[in-house]
Parts: sequence; structure tokens; C-alpha cells
Amino acid sequence: MNASDAVLKHIDEHLQASLDRLFELIRFPSVGTDPRFNGDCRNAAAWLVRKFDALGFATSVRETTGQPVVIGKYEKPGMSSHAPHILFYGHYDVQPADPVELWHSPPFEPEIRKGKDGGGQIFGRGSSDDKGQFMTFIGACEAWLAVHGTLPFRLTLLIEGDEEGDTSHLDRFLAANKKELAADVAFVCDTEMWDDKTPAINTFLRGCIADEVVITGPRIDLHSGYYGGPAANPIKVLSRILASIHDRNGKVTIPGFYDGVKPIPAATRKEWAKLRFSHKQFLGDVGLAIPAGEKGYTALEQIWARPTAEVNGILGGYTGEGTKTVLPSKAMAKLTFRLVGGQDPHKVRNAFRKFVKAQVPADCKVAFVTHGGESSGVSVAADSTYVKAAKKALAAEWGKAPVMSGSGGSIPVVESFKKHLKIDSLLVGFARETDSVHSPNEKYDVESFHKGMRSWARIITELS
Amino acid sequence: MTEKVLNAADAGFEKSLERLFDLLRIPSISTDVAYAHECEKAARWLVTELTALGFDATLHETPGRPMVVAHYSPKAPAAKTPHVLFYGHYDVQPVDPVNLWNTPPFEPIRKKDADGVERMYGRGTADDKGQLMTFVEAARAWINTTGSLPVKATFLIEGEEESGSPSLIPFLKARKAELSCDAAFVCDTNMWDAKTPAITTRLRGLVHEEVTVTGPRIDLHSGMYGGPAMNPIRVLTKLLAALHDKNGKVTIPGFYDGVNPVPANTRKQWASLKFSEKKFMAEVGLANPAGEKGKSVLEQVWARPTAEVNGIWGGYTGAGTKTVLPSKAHAKLTFRLVGKQNPDKILKAFQKFARDQMPKDCKLEFSGHGGGSPASEISEDNIFIRKSTAALKAEFNRESVLLGSGGSIPIVRNFKDILGMDSVLVGFGLNDDAIHSPNEKYNLSSFQKGIRSWVRIMGALAE
Repeated sequence: MNASDAVLKHIDEHLQASLDRLFELIRFPSVGTDPRFNGDCRNAAAWLVRKFDALGFATSVRETTGQPVVIGKYEKPGMSSHAPHILFYGHYDVQPADPVELWHSPPFEPEIRKGKDGGGQIFGRGSSDDKGQFMTFIGACEAWLAVHGTLPFRLTLLIEGDEEGDTSHLDRFLAANKKELAADVAFVCDTEMWDDKTPAINTFLRGCIADEVVITGPRIDLHSGYYGGPAANPIKVLSRILASIHDRNGKVTIPGFYDGVKPIPAATRKEWAKLRFSHKQFLGDVGLAIPAGEKGYTALEQIWARPTAEVNGILGGYTGEGTKTVLPSKAMAKLTFRLVGGQDPHKVRNAFRKFVKAQVPADCKVAFVTHGGESSGVSVAADSTYVKAAKKALAAEWGKAPVMSGSGGSIPVVESFKKHLKIDSLLVGFARETDSVHSPNEKYDVESFHKGMRSWARIITELS
Repeated sequence: MTEKVLNAADAGFEKSLERLFDLLRIPSISTDVAYAHECEKAARWLVTELTALGFDATLHETPGRPMVVAHYSPKAPAAKTPHVLFYGHYDVQPVDPVNLWNTPPFEPIRKKDADGVERMYGRGTADDKGQLMTFVEAARAWINTTGSLPVKATFLIEGEEESGSPSLIPFLKARKAELSCDAAFVCDTNMWDAKTPAITTRLRGLVHEEVTVTGPRIDLHSGMYGGPAMNPIRVLTKLLAALHDKNGKVTIPGFYDGVNPVPANTRKQWASLKFSEKKFMAEVGLANPAGEKGKSVLEQVWARPTAEVNGIWGGYTGAGTKTVLPSKAHAKLTFRLVGKQNPDKILKAFQKFARDQMPKDCKLEFSGHGGGSPASEISEDNIFIRKSTAALKAEFNRESVLLGSGGSIPIVRNFKDILGMDSVLVGFGLNDDAIHSPNEKYNLSSFQKGIRSWVRIMGALAE
């Protein structure tokens, strides 16, 4: 029996105790966005402190501008200062349970029912997102400590309460506590598997910036009869600009837009091609059939690893009922740009604005409105020590190599870690697409929980 | 006799203004069904006024907004007394964006501006309530002074001019005998400038269309779908951007079929008007004519067809940002027509042009509102035009400019086609009246000299 086997055995033998502990946590209705549940959030945080203390971690509840954060620190006395330092992230806050009447069992009274495949499923709000998920890591630590007495790395647990709400609270907390939270890497357990049998490591995350363009032509709305012809029409000007953002191959034409974008590694493309992702079904679900992004990239590549320029909204002139023969004074469009690793959000914004200005005729004015922050895309090096360790461990646990997946949307905490702590994140999660996170009857498979703990135990072993 | 009537009109001017303000206070927006009852109210107000003057006035229901028809027979008509129709419209444009108005659009005010000119402000002051009330008040002056109008008159005042007059053609057809006159006078146009009267003899036609592009069946998260999902705003803007080439010419195949070049004589006459392109553009904050290259601004507005986008919307347009890929995008367009351009053919050509550019994954729908109308031209040596020119010269002490108008007045075409009569377009609006825009106004002098002009024209017609 090697180091890992004993830990796995411990996890198997204590599964019921781990489930009981998770049930206790799910019973706290810690809805972070609703002030009526502030007390429950604090109770959940206090419960976590007790559990982490019991594991021998130096634990404290820390105030933020939002819900409190729980910090637990582990460092074996006399451990080398070169020993890796892991920051583990999860969140104890959950989505509101409404509409409650659609739940088959009370959302905060967890219970296990049999799923279609015969396996047990834990029903309850937060069972998957994210209480069940982050407790897999805690369970693995507990087993390791029980078997070996120590962990093979320094560890900071960071469990927050604002993930489902205003993510700027944690961002501020990280900015203010940079030194204390310094680590080599962040482990995040809040993502999905590729499918029920195939684990996934999320290594591509797109960032996002938002901009608004307002074009002004004549100083007032004009009668299209009296001025139609000679008057510059801002809708026409705006349409031309928006129409010129993409070439006929779906490539963005803004000069400098692709600066820093690295080609997708051939191995990754090959791996993704093997996933048999059906763009037909993916697009068919929303009434489309043909991928409209960059030619030469699959739909999956377009979402996971390629940047985009998208118009989210447009408005100008008369939009009420019937017709109005008007030439508008103004036209406006809102855009977002999804960014991938290597792109500088600030430079992209400037490049876009320059691109627009160059196309505005002498008679029109252009103004820009900045919306939201600037989040960069993240691509985690697939050959980092941590990714390699996780790959090996997950393959051993699931009998299948993990998919190095991407995520079209941004995960703000990953961006915050990068920004304030200058560290990459390892995103490993065991949720399934069918978990109904954010919906009634949220569930987490017992298998996800059990094999999640085992997966983390194997990852810890790989790092020892 | 005419002098006496003019004096009476001047003496009653303050009262005329009060009556106009009563009418302006009724928010009779025809394009929005929410104001249907206000249109009804405006129509009733007119029937009441005209009945009190001795007209045989009737409110006629239509599938849309009601029509007002009022007839007047002179007490002692001479053998040659003509029967003339006077046309105006009581409906007004919507008032959005209402926040740009300095005063509430339906609470008219009278104000002496910094330049010493007295103006009235409010929706409909110039287009067209202020204008239509010039002939109503002229009729009042004649009747109050002499006991009768000098001509046989029919007033036709409609309530759907700003929404494409969908009920007008069937109405004219159904009442052809009742409404056919020797000529029509239409009061819905501008003077050349504040001192120079004008008669419009050339009008652009109009046809409109609304287009909806649908991509995904629901709005999508731009993170999850950004890239592979078709974005209907992108498709729509590409379509709209393709409407014009770099010289401002419309690219729709067949669009210019039936467009004739402006005759050399007419061009010369327009050139002699010393129209200041600079000033015309500068008044609305522009400097560079954006229409067809090689054509003067006057030619662009009076004699060339256009394709214009009047409105566009799609996706999220509220405050801040929303990372959404919209399911739908919409645009409203109008085409100004000249010469023998056929509205139906133009619409069909545009629809084909749009369809040809649709990617497979997008649906394209058209939902135009109201009917289209071709352009029209009126003979300039018509007797009614000659009499009007003379009367206007007496009032303004200047020759009338015979001009074109970029805006369409479909009624002119319909009068000719259905009722077989020519139209004389005499109006007293000014180019800076901001019709269709916030802070629409009408100069008090426009209103007063407008009334006086009609007094003179009515008198001239009886001679």
C-alpha cells in the first residue's frame, strides 16, 4: 500500500462521516445576496472555522465589505520555505432557492435520493455550487492528515461568501491582503467535469471588456424629407463601423486586436477535436446551425480559445410603433470583447476606439462610455507542475485522461488572483451539467463527492 | 373688399391665436394607438369650429383616425366662382425624445426670442395645425366681414398624414363626387425664407419598410456563445452599411429605374436662388453634404431619391453593460422617391437586396407600415398657381419661388389620380421650424401673413 492508497481507503471508509459533515453545511441557508440571510452566512462561516480548527489549521473569520471570508492556514513546523504554497478557494454562499415551490424536497434540508443511473444524489441548495465541491478538498485534506499527520505543502484555505453576488468584495479583500495571501498557485473547485465519466481541467478562460459608442451627426433629429440626402445619418455611420469589425471570414479587423493571442497548441486542438463536441446540437439548442465565428476554428475553439468582438445592443432614431420619417441625431451601440490569454484589455479598448475614430466622417462626433472593469483572458500553461500533477491524478482516479477544457465566460476570482496575487489557478471541479446549479432541485452526485475527494487526495499525493 | 377682410383678420388675430392654441393642446399623435382618442378629440374640435362658421361639417370615421370634411357654399355665387378644396392635417408627429423639449410639447407658448422675433412653440405649431388654421381663420375673416366666403369651398382635414395616410385613398375613392373640385390648396409646406413666399411644384414620394433580423431563438450569454453564434445586429448593420456606395449612391439593383435627370432650365433656376448649402447644413450642426457626390444640396433634397435608416434597435440598450448576444435586431427605413420610381417596385427591390445578404442561419421579416406614394410634379402655368402667385406678391411684395420639396405629400398624388385635380402647395413654414424634432415652432408672422395670404387668394379666385 503506497501513500495514496491508505488515504483513499480512509476516504472510502469515512464517506458517511464526510456526507454528514456536508449535510450540516448545506443546512445553513447562506444566501449571500439577501440581507435576511446575513446571520446564516455568519453561522456558516463560524461552522467552517470550527471544522478547519479541528484539522489543526489557524483559522479566522475576516470581515470584508460584503459577507465574511474564512481563512485557514496550514504550515508544518519546520517546513522548508521552498515548499510549495497552495491557496485553495471555494465559496460558502449559495444562490437564492426561489422558486421554492418547484423543489421536491426543502432546499436547505439535504437528502439523498437515487438517480436514474442508480447512484445516490444529494439534493439541496449548495450541494453542488459550491459547498459539495469545496468540501471535496477539505475531505481529502482531512484524510491525508489522518493518515500521514501532515500535508506535503503549505496551504491557505480561502472560503468566501460573495461569489453569487458582488464579486468586487473579494477583489478588494485580495487587493488589501496581498502579502498575507501570497501563494504559488490557486486551486479552485467550482467547475464541471467534461461528462459524467471524464474529468476536466479548465485551462482557458476568456476575459471581457465592455464599451459603448455614441455617434452624433446633426445636432437635432431631422425630417428625412427636408434633409434626406445631404445630412449625415449617424445610424448609417455606426452601421458601417460595426459592419467593418469583422471580415468575411469572421476575423476581427481592428488593427492590433490579436496582439498577444497565441495559437492554440496543436496538441490541445487535437485533444479537443477528439471530444466529439456536437456544434450541431450546441447551436441547434438555440435555433442556429452554422458556426458564425472565425473560419478555420471549430465552434469549441471559437468559444474557448479565440477572442471576439460582439455587439450586445444598438439603438438610434425612432423605435416606437409605426413609422417616423426622421434622420436621427444620435446612434449608440454597446459592445463586449471576449479576450483570451495574452491580450491586454486596455490596449484592445484603445485599439477599438482608434479603429472607430478613423471611420467617423468629419461631420460626426464620437463619444465612448467605459462600462465595467477590464478582465483579461487567462490561459494556464498546460505543462505547469500543478496541471501535470492534476492530469496524472485525475487520469488515475477516473480511468480517463482529463479534458483540458476552456470556458467562454470569465471566472472573476481567477482574474482577481492573477491581478492581485500574480498566480495562476488550477480549475478542477466535479460538478455535472445536470446539477441544476442556480435552479430548483440542485443536486450533487454522491459519486462526484466521493471521487472528488479521492481525486484531490491523488493530486496531493502527486505534489508530495 | 379684400382690404376690409384683411383688416378684420388683423383685428381678430389675438383670438385666432387663442383658438390655435386650443387645438395645439390636444396631443393628436396618429402613429401611436395610445393617442387615438386624442385624434378623435382634435377632429371634433375642428367640426365644432367649422360648424359655427356656417360650414356643413362632418366627422367621418375611418379604420384609423377620423376625417373632417366641411363644405361651404357662398350666399351669392357668381357663375364662374370656382369650387376649391383646402387640405390640412390635424395629426402630429410623436414627441420623443421628450426630455429635449424646453417646454412641454402640448402646452404651446408664445415667446419673443432674443432676436426680437415672436414665435410659438409646441408640437404641431408648424406641422400642420398652425398651417391649417391659416385657411380656417381666413375663411372666418371673410364670413365675419362679408357674410360669406367668396368661393365655393370644401375643407378636408385628415388625421393620418404622419402615419402614411392609410385610410385616405379608400376615403377619396368612396367620396369622389363629393370631394372633386376645380383645384386643391394644400397648406403644409415652407416659404423660401422669412420674406419670400414659395409654391412647391415638385414633391418627393415616400415608401417605408421595417426589417427584423432573427438569429438565435433566444438571447444568449456572450461568454457561452460568443464566436459561433450568429449575431443579428452584425448582420443587420452589414445590410444597412451596404445600402450606399462610397459616393453616396444607393446600391439596390433597379433603385434608380425611372429617375430622370433634372432639366437644365430647372437647374439654372435653382442655382440662381443663391441657396447657401453651408448655412442649410450649419443650422443642424453639419458642414459636409453627405448625399450623392456631384449633386448640389438642393438637387439632393428636391430631385434625388434616398434610402434612409430612421431607427435601429436590438439587444440590450439600458444602462451599463449586459453580456448578451441578441436574438433580434430591427431597423426602420424610408425611401424618398422622385420621377417615375414605383414604390412597390422599390420595396420589392430592397427586400430582394436584403434577402440576398442574409446568412442561412438568420430569418428576415418585413413589416412596413402604411402605404407608399410616388413623387409628383405640378404644372407651373396652371391658372390657380398663377392667381396664387399674384396674391402672394401682393402680400409679401416679392415673387414666389417655385420650388421642390424633399418631403412627400402623398395627398397631392392622390388628388390628381383619384379626384383629377391639381394641387397648389402654399405654406408659411420656415426651414428652422424643427418640425418632427423637439421644440417645434411657428413664427407668429408665418401665422398672421398666412391668414392674410389666404384672404387674398380666396378673394383672387372669385375674380
